Amino acid sequence: MSVVERIEELKTEALSALADAGTTKDLESARVRYLGRSADLTEIKKGIRDLPPDDRKAVGGASNRATKEIEAALAERLAEVAVSEREERLRAEAVDVTLPGVPYPKGSLHPSLRIIDEVVDFFVGLGYRVAEGPEVETDYYNFTALNIPPGHPARGMQDTFFLDDGLVLRTHTSPVQVRTMLSQEPPVYIVCPGRTYRRDSDPTHTPMFNQIEGLAVDKGLTLGDLKGTLAAMARHVFGEDVKVRLRPSYFQFVEPGVELDVSCFVCGGSDPNCKVCKGAGWIEMLGAGMVDPAVLSEAGYDPEEYTGFAFGMGPDRMAMVRYGIPDLRLFFEGDLRFLQQF
Amino acid sequence: MRVPLSWLREYVDFDLSADNLADLFSLRSQEVDGIERFGVLDGEVVVGEVVEFGQHPNADRLNVAKVDLGGQIVQIVAGAPNPYPGARVPVVVPGSVLADGRKLKKAKLRGEESNGMMMSERELGISAEHSGILLLDDSYEVGRPVSDYFPVGETVLELDVNPNRPDLWGMIGVARELAAILNTKFEVPEPVFDPSCEPTGAYTLRVEAPELCPRYDLRRVSGVRPGEKAPLELRRRIHAAGMRPVNAVVDATNYVMLETGQPIHAFDAGEVRGGIVVRRAHPGEKMTMLDGHTRSLDEEMLVIADEERGLVVAGVMGAETAEVGDETTDVLVEVATFAGRNIMETSQRLALRTDASGRFERGLDPNMVDFAMNRVTDLIARTTGGEPAPDTLSFYPEPVEPWEVPLRLPRAELLLGMPVGEGEAAERLRGLGCEVEAGEGKLAVTVPTFRRDLTREADLIEEVGRLVGLENVPESLPRAPQVGGLTPEQRKLRALRRLLADLGLHEAVTYPFGPDRWTRDLGLAGDVGAPLKLQNPLSAEAGNLRRTLLPGLLDAAARNRSFGARGGALFEVGHVFEPKEGPEGMREYALRYRMRGEMGPDAEVPPELLMGVGESNKVAGVLAGIVRAAGWNVPPKPAGFFEAKGLVERLIPGATFEPRTTPFLHPGRAAVVLVDGEEAGWVGEVHPEAAESFELEGWPVAAFELDVAFADPDPEPRFRAFVNVPAVSMDLAVVVDRDVRVGEMLREVAALGSPILAETRVFDVYEGSQVPEGKKSVALNFTFQAEETLTDEAVKEELDRVSARLRDAFGAEVRSG
Repeated sequence: MSVVERIEELKTEALSALADAGTTKDLESARVRYLGRSADLTEIKKGIRDLPPDDRKAVGGASNRATKEIEAALAERLAEVAVSEREERLRAEAVDVTLPGVPYPKGSLHPSLRIIDEVVDFFVGLGYRVAEGPEVETDYYNFTALNIPPGHPARGMQDTFFLDDGLVLRTHTSPVQVRTMLSQEPPVYIVCPGRTYRRDSDPTHTPMFNQIEGLAVDKGLTLGDLKGTLAAMARHVFGEDVKVRLRPSYFQFVEPGVELDVSCFVCGGSDPNCKVCKGAGWIEMLGAGMVDPAVLSEAGYDPEEYTGFAFGMGPDRMAMVRYGIPDLRLFFEGDLRFLQQF
Repeated sequence: MRVPLSWLREYVDFDLSADNLADLFSLRSQEVDGIERFGVLDGEVVVGEVVEFGQHPNADRLNVAKVDLGGQIVQIVAGAPNPYPGARVPVVVPGSVLADGRKLKKAKLRGEESNGMMMSERELGISAEHSGILLLDDSYEVGRPVSDYFPVGETVLELDVNPNRPDLWGMIGVARELAAILNTKFEVPEPVFDPSCEPTGAYTLRVEAPELCPRYDLRRVSGVRPGEKAPLELRRRIHAAGMRPVNAVVDATNYVMLETGQPIHAFDAGEVRGGIVVRRAHPGEKMTMLDGHTRSLDEEMLVIADEERGLVVAGVMGAETAEVGDETTDVLVEVATFAGRNIMETSQRLALRTDASGRFERGLDPNMVDFAMNRVTDLIARTTGGEPAPDTLSFYPEPVEPWEVPLRLPRAELLLGMPVGEGEAAERLRGLGCEVEAGEGKLAVTVPTFRRDLTREADLIEEVGRLVGLENVPESLPRAPQVGGLTPEQRKLRALRRLLADLGLHEAVTYPFGPDRWTRDLGLAGDVGAPLKLQNPLSAEAGNLRRTLLPGLLDAAARNRSFGARGGALFEVGHVFEPKEGPEGMREYALRYRMRGEMGPDAEVPPELLMGVGESNKVAGVLAGIVRAAGWNVPPKPAGFFEAKGLVERLIPGATFEPRTTPFLHPGRAAVVLVDGEEAGWVGEVHPEAAESFELEGWPVAAFELDVAFADPDPEPRFRAFVNVPAVSMDLAVVVDRDVRVGEMLREVAALGSPILAETRVFDVYEGSQVPEGKKSVALNFTFQAEETLTDEAVKEELDRVSARLRDAFGAEVRSG
């Protein structure tokens, strides 16, 4: 067998070995065997210079071509095997994607305070500011300054918690309005969210509850402004389609006094068994009215020059309606089964 | 106020269903709380005469009657045994619908046909009486509909009357209101009676406390027979209006009260010694009242007495003495007006509220007395055969006159935001009983004395607005002429709550009042004075105002545990309350501030001292048990000091911590939180003993509480330049005494002021086999970085400086390997 034939034989053998090699490791051993330092082909190349000159060219050319061909085949196979090996590895790395992810902590915000934040944001958008005040209040700010002097029957409507003489737990956030009016000149546009207290405990009343009151005093404010403002607020919280209506009512610090109902955003009045509106089609939402001239005067504002409206709503009850919560008492028990739903 | 519609129809004509009427009343006047129905709603009730009455053949407790309904004889099975042949009874015929919605059908009861039902008083809505069939007297004609004599069905509206409208506590006022709403007429029957007998003047009347009694009228009616029942229709109305019939005299006074809103009292004149005295109670005076209880009175209470003893606590309740009973023949009828506030206070002090006191305390119109007196005289005379005296004793020194209130129409349009016609406004106000003179955009309105709530222009504007209809008010949306928004503090509070929720805590809102054990079990009792107390808590368990948010959250955690939770993390933002003692002699100023809003002796005295209360806003968190449950690839996370501290570090990034014992915290795991040297709050593990008393025994419980003023949950960012040169990270483990504080080691490292030390991190603290007894190993990781690439030498040199500093300060030895 001539050397050239031997080269051809080695090349065929090498190409076949490369074709058979299925892994990077097999390819590496094939490379060592056919192209390595002590491979037959390498030995032949090393012996070229000992060949007769006439043969050198033929053997040299054949060995170089064979080497190139083997190298090309090796490179090609390496690439192929790398792909299949990566695929293999990825297959092995597959996970059960239905297993749960890492549990990042998830807390919650209290439902009433979520409503308060939403309502506050609405009014802030209209240019209102947020005023706050103490929960232990004086008799003066909680009652007298609001046109409810000592002995007034309206005091009997608000079952009050008393502390030391002349101190109460505030029965509404209205004293914050008084404090604000006493500390600044009109115009006033504020909302006052906060906790309030009444001595009352039954399935629909808790001795503590949240309130959001609001006050606007300016030149030329009307009952229509009150209605439009609160209608826009109701749509913001309960959806674009809700309607509102006013009913006459009585609160000592407003005149005229009204209550505002919101059309049922669940059934729209079409379901006589509706759980939210009890078939009435309307949900009682808040009390409001035009600020009583006596209250404006008490604050040092001229009721001939300024008019205003005030309103008060219960974010707890709004949360009950909005989130479908059946029992007010759940709000203040710190029960995780309740809180973590929000 | 319960309004029986059949009664209302006597005064005013209306063509509205009960539901529509209720809606209209709610939209124009007072809210209607409910609609109640009695008797037979739809169908026929006929006067029948029992022809035969006997035992049911197949049932011991049933009877079978044959009843003549006027030419037609029907068989009826009945349970009640009281009918007898010849008795006249009301019979409801099959097909009629009863108040509960049931439709009466022909039926067979134990084999016997029953074609209708004989009715008890209760079934007809006359009274609560249900022991037998109602027996009618001979004036009821057999075969005629019973409704020719009295309504067999009734619908009652429950009006929720606002406290400024005592006029609506009577049917006449309600009728006037409805007529005003409907823009129609209403009519009240004129009382008619024949004065014929003994003059009232045989008795005397003396009012000794005119300041508590603006008007007192007295009339005698002789020859009454109160043992008789009042007429059926009168009793039926009293029952429908929610009261209980008693006897003919008392029923007459109650009826007129329901009609006019004016409470009326009747004395047994034979028991009245000398005459009637209206006076304040004597100190220590006692009275045994109609409810059988004896009560002690005081001088602030008004008593109606005779010359010898007290007969009535004015406006509230009578004594057993001089009560009208079945033997009474002569009565003295009292119709009076008392000072509303005094009645309210008396009723509160005696803890005794009655129909009468509820009406008097709202302040009644003294001019109503005349009509009410005539009306009740009329009724007593008619229903008991009494003979009224020709004269009335009357004390009314300062008659109340109608007053005038001007109404400017432009002002009405401004307040209501809608156009108001002069004619319409005048007509609406006249409907309410006002006299109105119109002209030039102004109305001169004379207000009747029964509308004491209408004293100012705004009051009249409200009346016009609601009667025209608030649905006519157009909507408009004013915007404030200012930039709205939250203050930085308010924004901070929002960020703080959001952050804690994002970190896995649940926001709770708990009651700020609790039991004594809150103070005791936290070990605070001896440390600080008594907490602020409510004078009238709902229970002894809810009398103390909290001075920390902790106990409410611990109670919540314990409750969650009892419901099966394995742990949880709660937070709350809320106020806490501290008693504050003002300086000596401050009390008088304090009371003036509290009652009248006046400041102290000088403006320097902070309101806090006048209040005697320090109130501040806190945020607290309680971590109890397993704070985060295990996942399939993460271990569970129990509560612990460092869990809580990590939260505090997020809320106040620059805070420092110093060990500090607090009674309710673990003595070795508690720290005070400092911000620039000021105390911002505390963090720690709850003392096992405190945890146990809050029923959290065996659970790890960690907590923190901070003054929200110090919180900085979302600090204002400030850019710092950085370089692209790679940083070098080096570890250093040192051995120190175990009581050396790592925080101090870090402070020492920082104090070196190294220009290339960018960050120091504690990554291991270890005590145990590799470390000598009494020592601990602290492993630190340092990141070095400079503007040019750092050489190994430079880093080594700096690390040596660090270890030298730690050695000098704490005797720290570098661990090899």
